Amino acid sequence: MNRIRIQPHDFDLANEYQQLREISSAVGAVVTFTGLVRDFEGDASIDSLSLQHYPGMTETLLQEIVDQANQRWQLIGSTVIHRVGELLPRDQIVFVGVASQHRSDAFEAAQFIMDYLKTKATLWKKVSRDGKQQWIESKASDRQASTRWDLIDD
Amino acid sequence: MIKLLFFGRLGDYAQAVPATIDASTPAEIRQLLSADYPALVRELSEPQVLVSVNQMIASWDQLLADGSEVAFLPPVTGG
Repeated sequence: MNRIRIQPHDFDLANEYQQLREISSAVGAVVTFTGLVRDFEGDASIDSLSLQHYPGMTETLLQEIVDQANQRWQLIGSTVIHRVGELLPRDQIVFVGVASQHRSDAFEAAQFIMDYLKTKATLWKKVSRDGKQQWIESKASDRQASTRWDLIDD
Repeated sequence: MIKLLFFGRLGDYAQAVPATIDASTPAEIRQLLSADYPALVRELSEPQVLVSVNQMIASWDQLLADGSEVAFLPPVTGG
């Protein structure tokens, strides 16, 4: 069971966890990651965040990332949720949940999916501060986090 | 006709660009826009900018069928 959702509305962590937990009695590990909107970007505070995406392509790219994770690790199920639209500091923005028999598969796959999501999925953030809007630049640290998986033979 | 989409900061530079254009490759689209939208084309020429054709990452030389959707994608910043 792999679920991918792009949505403006919030998600419920407990509900998402429960759905992964209930997939099968073979599930022995569920790892979940939740990303939140910070109240700063770089060294300056922000008032809000706006998320743009490429409808259709974003879902396709996320599916490809999840497919790769399934090839690398023994996974029973996964859920990827990314919110779009207007968000405020403290809001939940992204969820990755992975269910597997053993913890190492779930831990590593969840990190892989997040690292690839940040560098490959067609999503763009714009911050608003003091009434001015600015697109966020991509970070070298995110690209490095993604690249390291390319160096690991599976 | 080719449908054009510009995402992220590229959209700010492309507000006056027509929604469709006649061209045979993404590189030709960039060339055709250079006279009227030099600031946009400077951005499009950045090596990190990717192009997709019908929602698949493509090369700038890919031949475009009539009705294709071409999108210009700056480095992504989701997550």
